[in-house]
Amino acid sequence: MRREFLPYELEILWNRLLAIAEEQAQVLMRTAFSTIVREAGDLSAAIFDRRGRMVAQARTGTPGHINTMALGMRHFLEAFPPEDLHPGDALLSNDPYRLAGQLNDMSVVTPVFHRSRLVGFFASCCHMVDVGGIGLTADGREVFEEGLQVPFCKLRIAGQVNKDVAGFIAANVRTPREVLGDLQAQVAAGEVGGDRLVGLLREFDLADIEDLSDEIIGRSERAMRNAVRGFPEGRFSHVAINDGMDRPLRIEVAVWREKDELFVDFSGTDPAVERGINVPLAYTTAYSTYAVKCVLAPEVPNNHGSFIPVHVSAPQGSLLNPVSPAPTAARHILGHYLPSAIFPAIATALPDRVPADSAAGLWVTQVGGRKLDGEPFSFAFFSVGGMGARPSKDGLSTTSFPSGIQSVSTEIMEAASPLLFHKREYRPDSGGPGRYRGGLGQTIIFEVRSRGPVMLSAMYDRMRDVPRGAMGGGNGSAGAAVGADGRALVAKGRSVIQPGELVRIDLPGGGGYGPPGERSAKAIQRDLEAGLISREAMARDYAADRPDTSGGPSVLSVKSKAMTT
Amino acid sequence: MSGTSASHFWIGIDIGGTFTDLYVVDPTAGRASTGKVLTDHIDPTASIEKGLGEMIAQGALDPRQVRRVVHGTTLVTNAVIQRRGAPTALLTTQGFRDSVEIGTEHRFDLYDLDIEKPVPIVPRQLRRPVSERILADGSIERPIDEEQVREELRALTESGIQSIAVCLLHSFRNSQHERRVASIAREMAPNLHVSLSCDVAPEIREYERASTTVINAFVAPEVGPYLRNLTGRLAAIGIDAPLLIMQSNGGTAAPEFAERYPVRLLESGPAAGAIGAANIARLSEEDRVFFFDMGGTTAKAVIIDDGAPLIARKLEVAHVYRFKHGSGLPVQSPTVDLIEIGAGGGSIARIDSLGLLKVGPDSAESDPGPACYGLGGLHPTVTDADLVLGYIGADSFLGGRMRLDMEKARRAIDEHVAKPLGMSVEEAAWGIHRVVNENMAAAARVHLLEHGRTPSAYTMVAFGGAGPVHAYGVARILGCSSVLVPGHAAVGSAFGLLCAPVSFEAARSFPVALEDVDWSEAEAAIDELRAEGIRLVTWAGLPLSQTVTEIAADMRYRGQGHEITVPVPVDALGRQAAETMAAAFAAEYRRLNAVSGPDAPLELVTWRVRVRGPVPTLSASPPQPRKGFGPCRRRPVWFDGVGFVDSAVVAAADLRVGATVHGPAIIELGDASLTVGPDASLALRADGLMHLIIQAERPQ
Repeated sequence: MRREFLPYELEILWNRLLAIAEEQAQVLMRTAFSTIVREAGDLSAAIFDRRGRMVAQARTGTPGHINTMALGMRHFLEAFPPEDLHPGDALLSNDPYRLAGQLNDMSVVTPVFHRSRLVGFFASCCHMVDVGGIGLTADGREVFEEGLQVPFCKLRIAGQVNKDVAGFIAANVRTPREVLGDLQAQVAAGEVGGDRLVGLLREFDLADIEDLSDEIIGRSERAMRNAVRGFPEGRFSHVAINDGMDRPLRIEVAVWREKDELFVDFSGTDPAVERGINVPLAYTTAYSTYAVKCVLAPEVPNNHGSFIPVHVSAPQGSLLNPVSPAPTAARHILGHYLPSAIFPAIATALPDRVPADSAAGLWVTQVGGRKLDGEPFSFAFFSVGGMGARPSKDGLSTTSFPSGIQSVSTEIMEAASPLLFHKREYRPDSGGPGRYRGGLGQTIIFEVRSRGPVMLSAMYDRMRDVPRGAMGGGNGSAGAAVGADGRALVAKGRSVIQPGELVRIDLPGGGGYGPPGERSAKAIQRDLEAGLISREAMARDYAADRPDTSGGPSVLSVKSKAMTT
Repeated sequence: MSGTSASHFWIGIDIGGTFTDLYVVDPTAGRASTGKVLTDHIDPTASIEKGLGEMIAQGALDPRQVRRVVHGTTLVTNAVIQRRGAPTALLTTQGFRDSVEIGTEHRFDLYDLDIEKPVPIVPRQLRRPVSERILADGSIERPIDEEQVREELRALTESGIQSIAVCLLHSFRNSQHERRVASIAREMAPNLHVSLSCDVAPEIREYERASTTVINAFVAPEVGPYLRNLTGRLAAIGIDAPLLIMQSNGGTAAPEFAERYPVRLLESGPAAGAIGAANIARLSEEDRVFFFDMGGTTAKAVIIDDGAPLIARKLEVAHVYRFKHGSGLPVQSPTVDLIEIGAGGGSIARIDSLGLLKVGPDSAESDPGPACYGLGGLHPTVTDADLVLGYIGADSFLGGRMRLDMEKARRAIDEHVAKPLGMSVEEAAWGIHRVVNENMAAAARVHLLEHGRTPSAYTMVAFGGAGPVHAYGVARILGCSSVLVPGHAAVGSAFGLLCAPVSFEAARSFPVALEDVDWSEAEAAIDELRAEGIRLVTWAGLPLSQTVTEIAADMRYRGQGHEITVPVPVDALGRQAAETMAAAFAAEYRRLNAVSGPDAPLELVTWRVRVRGPVPTLSASPPQPRKGFGPCRRRPVWFDGVGFVDSAVVAAADLRVGATVHGPAIIELGDASLTVGPDASLALRADGLMHLIIQAERPQ
């Protein structure tokens, strides 16, 4: 018999599920080894019903993990139908084409049983420190070079670790202790979540969460459909030309609505390349639905229901839907770039809803070599540029988008590696001019105190294809990466760095919104005094005579402002 | 009624947004009295003088016999939130002037593209770079350019800067450069306030450390004059006892210390409530207590184990979006580990776009307030629901000082909740009550579980104007069977101020593998912190023989990011201590995470030293005799699953020790009401606490 829920009961139960998913994520963050999981928050955790539909997710996480997991659960169910699942089992895979798009991202699924019956699943996805192969780089020519592929399998059988699987993994990665430790953390988090879910079912005398998930998913789906109805008739398209690796790459997108469903199609996009920047369709879908949701329905809960009315497609064999053995290790570069392709298309339909272009891709710098004492080391850090200006506000400077990652403090990095930073500061004039200015990127200067040269492996984007302004706003600045004497470093690939050589990376700034001539004199003056724009840029980008330019910016004139704002 | 020659007084003063609460106790006679006056927002010290003056006039207090005055203040919090501090500048290592604004490069809301990040307290042009560099191991890479420091200080002071924060990279490891800046500043501008990050928050992570130091610098110039003003006010009415200030960590400090480290006063008020609850935990010998405080806008909760609240190492203040983590400014300062939930009597109920009943975090505050106040509020609130359900009485709210309008409450609930959902007003009111209880219980449960605690093992202590009303419901959801409520639940913070030890807490980061710890270096650092602590605690008037030193260390598995604080044996630092610490760490890790730790080496990150005086334990004053309500009255009250039930309404003053009131019943506390469900009973204990016992498992 179908269980009906009063609206306040539904609110209570829904909140309970969200809290359980959150707790699962917290356990994971506390016990994970990977810096990327714990400091940067690169993980996801969620609850699924017995049909494999995502019902609730933790707030922590990035779209690339959350949304791919929501879509990828069905592959676990296909591999392991309910009759093959038992209490104490845990499933594992890192299939890059069906799950999170990269071998380092391991998904662990824990089935939950109540009254001897399967009632749902907990799933989490975490970025592993290492998966063997040539390491995390775009240089692989085939997925086989990129590391160990773990097919859909049981990591644990009825409470016992599957020694064969664990042994295979341990033998194929450089840091078996950390990788197995992180997998153990994922299993533990799933168990904690399972216990809580069973407690909830007992407390409310429910046999399972199917009726509850119908309500949650149904309401979310209806809210998403309502939001989609506000999208105008017509087909809105855009062609973006990304830097690519050896040559620029074309990404073509069309967005249209049919009744209350939205379609995002990438026909016309270039074919897959022999480098690891191809984006598996699950990851393409994750960032496309994310971009759509941010603009149309940020308030609708993110679960199976909110995905139903949004359809994403890309030609098979293309950059955005590669097939095995196309390499995918650096799929986040183009994945993070997708909102930059989709937003302009949406903007032609809804011009006042969409921000200008952002720096997009997370910049990854990996350095490896020998420390001064001869000990080998490998260290990676992430950095981000500026966000595009919004229709009614300046863009956020040096802020992660679309990924949800956090940066690590300079002091922590210097304590953990032979890197020495000389600068991590805003990059003046990098924000695109406009009525609302784009967010500034940052400039980072560092050296490596090493014995002998080190290898710097970079994943930098937007060195040529600048973040574009919107509605008459100017472009943000392109990125740059140089070594000593201004020699350019390889943007996506490896460069040799000498001990003590200063490496400078300039991250892109976001595009401006609206004509620069409409920017208020006060805002221009404020930017000038803060040194966010230079006098030259002011003269060039904004009508130079408007702000009061007599004399330099005085500390005094700002002091009073500091007190009042 | 002046005291006998043997009697003396302690005074607790808690300044809140609306009221200033006073709690006066004679610790030898165990006699207490309370006062309440409206807070004077122009000069809050004036309301203190007024309130105490009234109590003196009434004979409740002899000013000459006052031995201790403890003050909880919102001055620092308000100055940060309203950005009413002194003109402040920041000196940073060249190349890093934006660290304090860039933060973690994080977006605290994944889907909202319109968010604003907090505006930095010190604007970019006042963040001045200094040529110097210290490396991660503490060695000096580039000596500080003193001439440049002088030039910057000259320009800053000439332009009217009154306070500077100094945060140089790795200064927690080597403070030489920051100290040099301070001495140059002293020579050049003796009146300039200087806050050094190596003093204020000597912990790794430059963003958090700079943020903490900047807030300290921003408010420091305000605190001294305020405290001198207060001392003057007290002297004017004949009180010249030592003044102590409540800190965020639940310890009290001398004014001189408060003036130097005002950032440690950010949670001064809320900490006092938790300390009062800890006192009740000690008094009742409950070693697992969960403190629950529900007011008009927010509810707060704190875990109290073995008579002391859990302490967090950092907090976030001045949020751009009130209940959104990540939208505020980070502060590294030991703080009572309290969660704040957007749930209070004024929380507004509404139906959201998905058709769900949501309660809070928006609040009708006190103006216009809930619909039943009749002050123009039209939105249904938790208080309106509580009135409709009979948990609070229309005539006895706030001790009868304010009459509530039942019709207005019903109309608001009907229009905004009952009609849209197609249910009765009572059912809708029950939905509001249940959802807000659930919100609080959910937050409390997550907090307990995150710390590896089992909710049902805890006894709840309920404070606040709405706390006793909702304690029964929240405790039931959490599976707690026992709730303690003091008679003075509504002035809990002022009471708590008097239960705090004098204390000093400091930390120093030295990230190193546990097996590689240089114990002589560690001992030297700890001794230095301990000496500083003893100096400051004895400064507050405590004899050396009464001081206690506690040492702890933040540790983690190398490679993991989450640190756990474990106690360190005070008298046996060295290799042996390492073993004890490793064992304590492993046990705590297992408790927190439900799994054993991996086979990985341990790393020590931060040393913590706390020097404190004895912890006072005050007896709870029994409910004060008030104008009784005469014989027991009755009214219908709504309970889960049964609807309205005819229930007893009892004045707390009519309770007798040993007698039990069986639910369903409502106990009128004067300033608040206590709900006793049909499956619960209430007894007044000999120690003056009211004890609510929930007997059955919740019915399904």
